[in-house]
Amino acid sequence: MRVAFVVNDLQLSGGVGVVVQHARQLVSRHGFEVELVLAREQDEPDWRYPGLEDVPVRAMPSARGERYDIVVATWWETVAASLELDARRHAYFVQSLEDRFYRPDQPDRLGAALTHDLPLHVITEARWIADTLDELYPERRCLLVRNGVDKAVFAPLETAPIRRTEPLRILVEGDADVWFKGVGEAVAATRAMTAPRHVTLVSRSGAALDGVDRALGRQTAEQMSALYAESDVVLKLSRVEGMFGPPLEGFHRGATCVVTAVTGHEEYVEHGFNGLIVEWDDERGTARALDTLATDRALLHLLRANALQTARAWPSWEQAGTMMAGALHALARAPEAAPLDGAAAALATARAAIESQAMRVAERDRLRYRVAGLAAFERVIERPPLRWIAAGPRALWSAARRAKARRRR
Amino acid sequence: MPEWQERLTRDTHPTIRIEHELRYRLTAPLVRGAATWCDLGCGTGVAAAAALGDARAARVVLVDLEPDAAAQAVAELGAARAETLTADLSDETDLASLRELLLRADGGGVISCFEVVEHLRTFVPLLELLIDLAGEHDYTTVLSVPNDAFGTIENPYHLTMWGEGALEELRRMLPRDHVAAAQVPVSGSAFVIDGSAGDNSALTVAQRPSPVASHFIVAFGPRAAELRGVAAAEMTDLEGQRNWERQREANLAFHEEELAELRDYVHDLERRLDAGASGDDA
Repeated sequence: MRVAFVVNDLQLSGGVGVVVQHARQLVSRHGFEVELVLAREQDEPDWRYPGLEDVPVRAMPSARGERYDIVVATWWETVAASLELDARRHAYFVQSLEDRFYRPDQPDRLGAALTHDLPLHVITEARWIADTLDELYPERRCLLVRNGVDKAVFAPLETAPIRRTEPLRILVEGDADVWFKGVGEAVAATRAMTAPRHVTLVSRSGAALDGVDRALGRQTAEQMSALYAESDVVLKLSRVEGMFGPPLEGFHRGATCVVTAVTGHEEYVEHGFNGLIVEWDDERGTARALDTLATDRALLHLLRANALQTARAWPSWEQAGTMMAGALHALARAPEAAPLDGAAAALATARAAIESQAMRVAERDRLRYRVAGLAAFERVIERPPLRWIAAGPRALWSAARRAKARRRR
Repeated sequence: MPEWQERLTRDTHPTIRIEHELRYRLTAPLVRGAATWCDLGCGTGVAAAAALGDARAARVVLVDLEPDAAAQAVAELGAARAETLTADLSDETDLASLRELLLRADGGGVISCFEVVEHLRTFVPLLELLIDLAGEHDYTTVLSVPNDAFGTIENPYHLTMWGEGALEELRRMLPRDHVAAAQVPVSGSAFVIDGSAGDNSALTVAQRPSPVASHFIVAFGPRAAELRGVAAAEMTDLEGQRNWERQREANLAFHEEELAELRDYVHDLERRLDAGASGDDA
């Protein structure tokens, strides 16, 4: 079976990493012919994914002349490009409801949401996404393929180590400047703890926040695995997640987790069994949960031991690749959900409107920035006694403007 | 050391044996009167023979990776005219042979595939064949997978791990009108009056709100909707269980005492070492 996964680029990101893993498995273990098609020109150097050498990468102009059994879009911006390619079936690999990555006033939010309504068969990686997509469009096939975990890198420990006396070792992962990752809230909760703790923050920039004992920049998977192994708890207070991988990787290395009830957590986190679930915006409650783990070491060990058990039952990438092969065969069997004629053109029109709106919003923001100084000055002179002092010059200025206008007429 | 019961024999633990027999009892109404019954991963046939009784299809096809196992299954089932096939069910060539063998006779049939999928390198070609047989050739498949996610020990013979998540992945690949069932362990008790258990065939199983499955079953094909709930129980070997538990308790008490003695001995040694070191310093 010949399959093309359409990606925006091959830069380092979780989503592209998942596609590359599936492509590798399909080629090496299931006899598929798989290509990655770049929906847009590359302007940055590729991140070298292991195993990518087995999977050909094509640009759109070259892929347009090919015929595929299945073409799979992998991100909302790649859907229009995927529909330009010739295939027996078109499908959409939905790794999250991607509109949620944008704030309500961002035009891209609408563009992302639009793609989820298209009559495309979908493959997704979490049950919550599958259930949502089923409700949006029950007629289409919605396949489920959970992400695997690299069991060679995140090798499950034999047993969870017992740590009785040292400060609680907490790992926070994510970028503080990505609004839905809740990194600032997580670090604030550790600051509100009373028990001894050691906090490690891993982010793209490596910038430290107040209360962090160790700040690290971008880490390889192997380095992350070592960090999880030396941690007691993975703390994630995200507001938006797809499959929610980091705590699960931590589980493999013997760490438990303290997390919000973010989408994706329900797939493997059980409150009081292998982790603790805390409320959003509850700094004190989160700090109390962490303090409990720091002081009740028997509970900490129970959660860590159960987390490890949960990890053992999670599929490897080899198993996930088998499920993806099965899902693609199921899509090949299924008839198209509905005619897709005109969908590419409609998406292109929507995309143009979104770009245009984005330019207007950018212009508005630029003007708002430029006018900020004047607005501040106005607020100052509107306050007494400056307001009374400015009344005379203001009257003179108004009279002068009226006179100028009369002369023009 | 855990004992892995990947091949059922007469010595298999009753709980495991009953679980396996029950899956065949679930399938029995479909097998009875079917044109063909094919058992994939038939093993020694012990469980199938015990569960199916006189429920037989006109034609029996027994498939296993081990030729000896299939031959023993023929004997256990008393099906001298059964056709056997030695096949690796993840191998496309072997699956082509299976397909050809099944389609030699008309009239469709029933395929049982219990505790097989988790042992395969890839189950995708097998699943494709079963779905094709269901859609195009009137074969109904009843298939089971274990709930590995709930077990406490990793089974080294399972090449894929199954649980609710993996089951959901599988179900979404199947035809939409498939039937899903959960096999749930039960605990119970029964009266024996004047040495006779009487007729306990009407076993009553009280419902729990969210029962955890030990195994998951899916069925697809034209007769999948005919599946009906069944339950089975066997009297516990309470004497054997008592002996084992008493031995465990006695061993535990013995080793705890021994551990306490060793601890005291180590502490005594530490004290003597400390005292010796103080004497040297003086």
